[in-house]
Amino acid sequence: MRILSSMSREKRTKIGRLMEKAGPFAALVVLAIIFTAINPRFIYINNLINVIRQAAVYIILVVGMTFVITGAGIDLSIGSMIAVCTCIAGSLLQDFGLPLFPVILITLALGAFIGLINGLLVTRFFLPPFIATLGMMVTLRGIALIHSSGRIYHAFPAPLLYMGRGMIFGVFPAPIAIAFAIVFIGYILFKWTTFGQYCIAIGGHKEGARLSGINTYRYETLNYVLMGFLTAFSGIVLMGRIDSTQAIIGSNMEIHTIAAVIIGGTNLFGGRGTISGSVIGAVILAIIANGLILAGVSFFWQQVVTGLIIILAVALSIFRERHFYV
Amino acid sequence: MKEELLVRMVGISKSFGGLKALDRVNFELHRGEILGLVGDNGAGKSTLIKILTGAYLPDEGEIYIDGKQVFFREPKDAEKMGVAAIYQDLALIPTLDAPGNMFLGKELKKSFLGVGFKLLDRKGMMQETRKVLKQRLGMEISDLSRPVHVLSGGQQQGIAIARAVHAKVNILIMDEPTSALGTRGRQELFRLIDQLKEEAVSIIMISHNLVHIFEVSDRIVVLRNGQRVGDRVTSESNRKEIVHLIVGGENEE
Repeated sequence: MRILSSMSREKRTKIGRLMEKAGPFAALVVLAIIFTAINPRFIYINNLINVIRQAAVYIILVVGMTFVITGAGIDLSIGSMIAVCTCIAGSLLQDFGLPLFPVILITLALGAFIGLINGLLVTRFFLPPFIATLGMMVTLRGIALIHSSGRIYHAFPAPLLYMGRGMIFGVFPAPIAIAFAIVFIGYILFKWTTFGQYCIAIGGHKEGARLSGINTYRYETLNYVLMGFLTAFSGIVLMGRIDSTQAIIGSNMEIHTIAAVIIGGTNLFGGRGTISGSVIGAVILAIIANGLILAGVSFFWQQVVTGLIIILAVALSIFRERHFYV
Repeated sequence: MKEELLVRMVGISKSFGGLKALDRVNFELHRGEILGLVGDNGAGKSTLIKILTGAYLPDEGEIYIDGKQVFFREPKDAEKMGVAAIYQDLALIPTLDAPGNMFLGKELKKSFLGVGFKLLDRKGMMQETRKVLKQRLGMEISDLSRPVHVLSGGQQQGIAIARAVHAKVNILIMDEPTSALGTRGRQELFRLIDQLKEEAVSIIMISHNLVHIFEVSDRIVVLRNGQRVGDRVTSESNRKEIVHLIVGGENEE
């Protein structure tokens, strides 16, 4: 502590920013090293590609969640949303025999629409985001169960399976390509458009944003619409990967997604966010799952390790904010 | 004489729940004058100016700018009529950087690679921010890409002022501008106020510090308990009289 207090404010802010930018990536590298030490098969290309392929669905989700959380909101309903969207998509494909492309469009629109409901609950009914999306989480799960009556939808068209399992040119997994395309677009939106700026402004100081003439209702709602859209999108990739869906899928996905965003360095209270950090967070969680399996550790320990990492990540970022001002 | 009245607020009332913050207040601002708005805590000063900037809607009363009646439904409406404010808490976004704050709501955009839609011109905004800070305020901040909450109070104030001044402003409102400033900052601020006056900007300054008010203003309006109780030309008044009006005892209207 004595070393810290002798440093100037400028220098500490510089160190703080470095910690913020490099932290999640450093954690990623450290974990990779640890798991490789435990089981060298971790570092095989096959396995690494596998890890990212597992992470692909969550990478899509964290892009949306970064916007929501940076805007000082939260969305607990995405797990149930995936169930509803994919079950309806499955039903349209299997029971109504609709072609794939329209079904995808309808599913995406449905996701955006549910997101819109979330957004309106928060901005027009003034419900705290936690409560609004919690209520939706429970309600949507019920709707999914009613709609499907416990059925499992499967045997999806080949193009859909390609999205989830295919290899572009035989080497590059399609879900990863899709996920990265979304990350790229999300990054541009976040850092290079007014949409991203206003998201940060609303999360950082909502009243200040309003006084500056920003329509906070509109931009807050759009965050949730985007989240809903991306949730539906990730559901489509998920359907392609496991070639099935049912009303009970997606449980705990919201927790996993939020954890990834926090580990990546986005502040839960809003005003600061990082798309790349969230992606790294999603990859970190996938690495933990994969690494523990290769280490022969029981599946249930994943939960324990993930929980500890969340606590550690937040403790570190609070330490960084207190002593390094960023 | 009417043309000289840049702002005329007539019979403004505003309540928050059971609390009457403003009670049929009349308020005028002449073109090119610096007006000091004073009063104790809770007198209604901040409420009055928030109505003028469109942040609040009055329950009663009318606003006239340049002789024409105006209806501000949101801050953007007031901004269009040339009203800008620097609020007491600065209303800066602490997590955004200086250019982000200065251009909030009015970002500069540029099309990259000749593609259709425009993206934020971050470089342009950074350069412009640096320029305005240096030329209008004589302020140089080393790393403008940091979130503004790491900057000192005076620097944050500089950015808030730069934001207000950069827009085409006719009526500038400053709510307790000297509270976060040291001696040098205050000198810079008063120099800026003089400069703005030369540029025909009319200024309303709210302050608890009567010394500063007497140093800078042409006219002083006193509010007490939501009512206007005094209106004096600065050079014809003194601190004792104003304190008397703020605290109570002499009621002009």
